[in-house]
Amino acid sequence: MTFKLYNYVLSGNCYKIRLMAALLDVAYETIAVDFYPGFEHRSPGILALNPAGTLPVLTSGDMVLTETQAMLTWLALTYDVTGTWYPVDDPERLATITEWLGFAGRLSQSAGLARLHDMLNWPADEKAVKAAAISDLRTLELHLNDRVLEGGLWIAGDGPTIADIACFPYTALSPDAGLEHDGYPAIRNWLYAVRALPGFVAMPGIHYLHDLKETSGD
Amino acid sequence: MGVGVGVRMNSVAVGLSRDLAPKRVMRAVAYGHDLAVWRDGENGLHAWDNRCPHRGMRLSHGFVRGDRLACLYHGWQYRKDGGCAYIPAHPGLEPPETIRAQTYSVIEKSGVIWVSTGNDAQGVDTGPVSEPLRSLTFFCAEAIARAAFEDTPFAGNLPQVESTGRLVAGGHPVAVLANPVTESETLIHVLTSAGVGIAAKKALSRWCEAARSVAERQAA
Repeated sequence: MTFKLYNYVLSGNCYKIRLMAALLDVAYETIAVDFYPGFEHRSPGILALNPAGTLPVLTSGDMVLTETQAMLTWLALTYDVTGTWYPVDDPERLATITEWLGFAGRLSQSAGLARLHDMLNWPADEKAVKAAAISDLRTLELHLNDRVLEGGLWIAGDGPTIADIACFPYTALSPDAGLEHDGYPAIRNWLYAVRALPGFVAMPGIHYLHDLKETSGD
Repeated sequence: MGVGVGVRMNSVAVGLSRDLAPKRVMRAVAYGHDLAVWRDGENGLHAWDNRCPHRGMRLSHGFVRGDRLACLYHGWQYRKDGGCAYIPAHPGLEPPETIRAQTYSVIEKSGVIWVSTGNDAQGVDTGPVSEPLRSLTFFCAEAIARAAFEDTPFAGNLPQVESTGRLVAGGHPVAVLANPVTESETLIHVLTSAGVGIAAKKALSRWCEAARSVAERQAA
């Protein structure tokens, strides 16, 4: 056994862990939690594990992790034999990654919450949360366009890191909240690059790239 | 004023060439028309009505295979001329000629993709100022967006306006192209010259964001 993931299929934060595990080719056990409409994440069993009542929860042996970005660091440090997803030997790059892990947390509260509002009627100040989501998408676009100007593509350095995985889901899912990607070309091309990674897995709202598969056609 | 102001144009800038790679598709708006703009495997550029003739799905959600654009919904494939080439649910069928995506005229000039709703797309020649900086959306009308670039200081100084309509910000030449998506949303494309270094380009990118703040405050 590697780890257990308390999982809700429509959650972008749960998807970060499913995606990272798939990219690292790690098998694990999922425990489905009925976030909606069951509100099972607020049940005594889950609250005993995670008093904050948030998903996902990751357990391995006696370890219990409740913060998504912490799970990504643990996954990379435990299962990434290449050492490239969380490069601990490069202080500047590691600090940049940590910056964007922090950003990913804010993005969950802006674009992520805007999506919950539109998709599941979640209580939120719609105008404020969508303004915050647009501000965050613009911050990411500015950074990714800088990377293009530098001849790069990924958030930090020359290859994908956990920062890309942390920022990917709620950016990719923002059209669920009516926030389309048309005016964000650097984001659009970066999203495509993540979806083209070997081992990529989809979720509802983020599909596989059909263009990469060879199939029939007269 | 940006390039193109006062010039009677039949075409509008929908994106930077740099930002649309071969075998990729993007959504664009030209003169109120919703478009799928895509490149085939040989770098050829196409602009179509963003609507699959089958069920109306946006073709910009589709994918490129070889020299065809395929709809994501049922996989119908369209040739470069817009004609339907293949219907997966009827693999033996030769699709009738009447099944066609509506095509628009599109060209690349000055590192920019230009679309016309007529049959002869033209682009503005920005001369040596054709190095792509970035595209960004302003939530305001075109005139307010254009004016904001002249009213936004770069490193403490307002940009100079040249007789060509181009700007010079901090010594760096800049061309600003605008695509009015709606009356309250404008897609801006910014070009500079090839000699401008990366640090200066990043500074210009932040100046664009400052201009957007000026414009959106004015529009609010």
